[in-house]
Amino acid sequence: MRSSRMWAAAAAAAMLGVAGCGGADSEEGGSGGSAAKEGEAPKTVPGFDGNKIRVGALSPLSGPVAVIGKPLTNGNQVFFDALNKQGGIAGKYKVKLVQEDTQYKPDVAVQRYNRLKNDVVAFTQILGTPSVLAVLPQLKRDKIVGAPASLDAFWVREPNLLPVGGPYQGQAINGLDYYVKNGGEGKRICSLSQDDAYGEAGKEGVDFAAEKLEFKLASAQKFKQADKDVTGQIQALAKAKCDAVFLTSLPSDSGTIWGTAAKLGFAPRWIAQSPAWIDELGASPLKEYLAKTVWIVAEGTEWGDDSVAGMKQMVADVEQFDPKQDPDYYFSFGYVQGKAMAAVLEKAVELGDLSHEGVLKASEELGEVAFDGLFGDYTYGAADERKPPTQSTIFKVDTAKPYALGTLEKDYESDAVKEFEYKAR
Amino acid sequence: MSEFLQLCFNGTALGARYALVALGFVIIYRATGVINFAQGGLLALGAYLAYALNDTAALPFALAVIGAVIASGLIGAATERVVLRRMVGQPVFAVVMVTIGMLFILEQTITSIWGFEALNLGDPWGVQIVRAGDVVLAQRDLWTVGIAGAVLAAFFAFFRFSKLGVAMRATAFDQEAALAQGISARRVFAVSWGISGALACLAGVTLAAGPAALSPGIGAVALIAFPAMIVGGLDSPVGAVLGGLIIGITQALTTGYQEDLFGWAGANFAAVMPYVVMVLILLVRPYGLFGTREVRRI
Amino acid sequence: MSSRRAPRVHGLMTRGYADDLRLFGSGKAKLGLLALVLAYLMLPFFLTSDFWLSVLDYAGIAAIGALGLNLLTGYTGQVSLGHAFFIGLGAYAAAQLGGPDALNLPLPLWLLGAAVFGALVGALIGPFALRLRGNYLAIVTLGLIFLGEHLFRNLKDVTGGNSGTNVDTTATLGGLDFKDLALLGENFSFNQGYFWLIWGLVGLVALLVKNLVRTRPGRALQAVRDRDVAAEVVGVQLGRYKVGAFAVSSGLAALAGALLGSYQQFVSPDEFSLFLSIQYIAIIIVGGVGTVFGSIVGALVLGGLPGLIDKYSASIPGVSTGSGDSGFISVFSLNQAIFGLLIVLFLVFEPRGLAAVWLRVKAYFKAWPFSY
Repeated sequence: MRSSRMWAAAAAAAMLGVAGCGGADSEEGGSGGSAAKEGEAPKTVPGFDGNKIRVGALSPLSGPVAVIGKPLTNGNQVFFDALNKQGGIAGKYKVKLVQEDTQYKPDVAVQRYNRLKNDVVAFTQILGTPSVLAVLPQLKRDKIVGAPASLDAFWVREPNLLPVGGPYQGQAINGLDYYVKNGGEGKRICSLSQDDAYGEAGKEGVDFAAEKLEFKLASAQKFKQADKDVTGQIQALAKAKCDAVFLTSLPSDSGTIWGTAAKLGFAPRWIAQSPAWIDELGASPLKEYLAKTVWIVAEGTEWGDDSVAGMKQMVADVEQFDPKQDPDYYFSFGYVQGKAMAAVLEKAVELGDLSHEGVLKASEELGEVAFDGLFGDYTYGAADERKPPTQSTIFKVDTAKPYALGTLEKDYESDAVKEFEYKAR
Repeated sequence: MSEFLQLCFNGTALGARYALVALGFVIIYRATGVINFAQGGLLALGAYLAYALNDTAALPFALAVIGAVIASGLIGAATERVVLRRMVGQPVFAVVMVTIGMLFILEQTITSIWGFEALNLGDPWGVQIVRAGDVVLAQRDLWTVGIAGAVLAAFFAFFRFSKLGVAMRATAFDQEAALAQGISARRVFAVSWGISGALACLAGVTLAAGPAALSPGIGAVALIAFPAMIVGGLDSPVGAVLGGLIIGITQALTTGYQEDLFGWAGANFAAVMPYVVMVLILLVRPYGLFGTREVRRI
Repeated sequence: MSSRRAPRVHGLMTRGYADDLRLFGSGKAKLGLLALVLAYLMLPFFLTSDFWLSVLDYAGIAAIGALGLNLLTGYTGQVSLGHAFFIGLGAYAAAQLGGPDALNLPLPLWLLGAAVFGALVGALIGPFALRLRGNYLAIVTLGLIFLGEHLFRNLKDVTGGNSGTNVDTTATLGGLDFKDLALLGENFSFNQGYFWLIWGLVGLVALLVKNLVRTRPGRALQAVRDRDVAAEVVGVQLGRYKVGAFAVSSGLAALAGALLGSYQQFVSPDEFSLFLSIQYIAIIIVGGVGTVFGSIVGALVLGGLPGLIDKYSASIPGVSTGSGDSGFISVFSLNQAIFGLLIVLFLVFEPRGLAAVWLRVKAYFKAWPFSY
């Protein structure tokens, strides 16, 4: 019942000692803020008390996927810490990150979303494709913006989502294009992907590349996530005499896959999606095998590359705000997400409306956002006009580097990737 | 042909692991009539104990494994003494669920101590291979088959010739008659759980060998050893070993030939193949290949 | 004076089996029931926390599924680890029956349709599965989970495959739209509307199950549980009742699945895993095997527990919360471990669950202050 919630909001506001804010006003703000004018200070609304903006993060902070959720959330946090140090959004509104642990379960994510939704202006991180899809209908209903922490292609066309980075499909297309144009012409190309939505995204990119680059997949194998036996799949790839295999997996499985391949004496050119890598692999007994065989397709540059402004800034921020944080791809992802959310919030403040709907509107009016070389620049706007970045950086395994990855080709952009169309789900 | 042989070898290595787990199930089932769903947890715990003895206590690998096997055996026996003994006489459903509850507790104990990240067990086999013609034999798989073979032989000898083994068989055959002959059923129960824990640990070590292969998820293999046990018959040790091999080889062949022969069944069909085999065999033989037909009295 | 008209007696007095089988028991029980109905009607007026409402919504869905499982496992004594498969069936059926791009049926029809579909599949699988007993049955139903997951992942046209499918059903009943409820001049949120819808159905299903088990088929089921061969000898048609129980149980699971899909508006194959089945079994163990009351209480306890643990985890020493913390055990692990511990402790120390605890408390106060 909305009116009781209004009383609760009013009571909370009174307890916080927020002056000049009647209960009725805060309720109005929640449902549109019709009185918002450009240039004026935004009204207090759920998640914004007049000087602090609260944004939510729905992330697996415990459980098996916490190895991804924790650094990603740290990335969000460090970005906002650095931003607050400089004054915050529009130089005066500090941003507070509110974390909720989803344990990577869709039903828990929905419950935690409900816990936070009237307490934040937007969600700067929702991790896990199933969790995002479970929360999405409610985001639409409540007209809230959420930033998914994955590179699925169907995010691009969803008005309520604020993706960053080029989708998995683009990585696959660029990676295979680079391979074919650099000595892979006429070679036998295969794919190995995990049996879920992430794996299918990679596979879609591989199929598109096969069509555009006119090669036939010699074998397409799938494996079940966390299945510790992939001997059969590797065997099948070896049987198909694959020269190159495009791999869509998560780090926990990448180790098993490459370990099994090495064990069976199978050494093709592995081209893997960005989430497949974690620097511990570079320290495992496999490191020589990996250095010889593995490429990773990702975005941006090496960790600690001073020549790239965004990377320089991020490394400086890590040193200042979270020196314990190791080099980590997922951390960068979270940091970039923070940047995108900050851009939306700046716009919303400029438009004078930080309500849920106001933030949604701001995200639609947002133009190109530059990530200073950390990730490719993203053109936002109305969902059907968005343009995700199309260039990928090809890395090779190099154990001397901070994240055990060295650049092979920076910002590679194939012709094929430009033709790939992002469709709504 | 060499491809077929290669797949068969892979399947045998896989099947040997299933056999070790399935035999653990059968031993407990014969003695106590319980299916132990916590076997997967014991298996993972065993592998982590070997890791801890090797990595943290700096024992040589072989010693670490032996130590872990003994420790797992004791843990198995202790589980029986502390929890399962209280469940004697309870319905099947309750006992099955107690072991499932224990599985959760074991899993979380493991992740709380060692975390979720994949670890290197520290085995000497690594990624070394032996070539026999066109067939590639991984050292770790050769050792797995060897260890499993030796352990199974030792087990059957123990069952047949040792006093305790005979007592276990007698108890399985007729508990009351065995009691009347002065056989301690309690001791048989505890020993059964102990042996089963030790087998689980060995299966865990062979599964976790290799680079970054030790993770809390390895216990999931027990879910595939279930069909192996059912295919062989719940109460037949020979059946468990055969069932393990049948399931292992079927799975390997399915992955190898699926694209050519039955791509329509959906990718990764090999993951459900064990269950399909199980259902097919149960349709024909409701008590598995070697299981004893239950006689029911009113 | 008519001899049939019984004079008013004390509420505890029973004069025959019929009295024991009464649906609503004594006057006090009627009062209790009235209080529950009032609580159901009034709660959304007072509880406005969307978080706790969504916890209650999920718990209600679980209660319906648990009632189904309890009928099969608690009353008929057949162990099934395959409940999650039928939950999944219901969710996908709801997407097909109630979705705007599909049949677009109204609320009562897609709910009923999903339930009937689940029951039919259950009736098809039942005869085979129920040839097996005890342990064999447990593992074959485990196979159902794996085969089901494979189907959900691969039948892309129906299930959307790995990316899952939107379940965009209507939820309108006689002019009331539960998704966006306007009543007595008040607007209610999605979670409030669904609270009424879901818990109304919980009441309906509980009534149905209660009626089923206190009549002839129910007694036959319990006879099958207690001694199946003896039941057969006294004339219970074993196959018929076992398959019947399996079908009704599957139907209720599918009903719960349909509600789950409709509430979440999205489902994916990852959700219908073995863990979900185990969760349902845990609910009936903690609540009370073979009781209607227990299924509901169990669902509430296990549904609310993670929220409570999370709320107080900061004050439990050694538990890590948040992204920067380190502690001995994470919230996730603590949840899972407590979940396992609950199952073990209840089975070892209170196999009849919270329902038995409640009965004991009631019995204590019945004779109070002269209780022994």
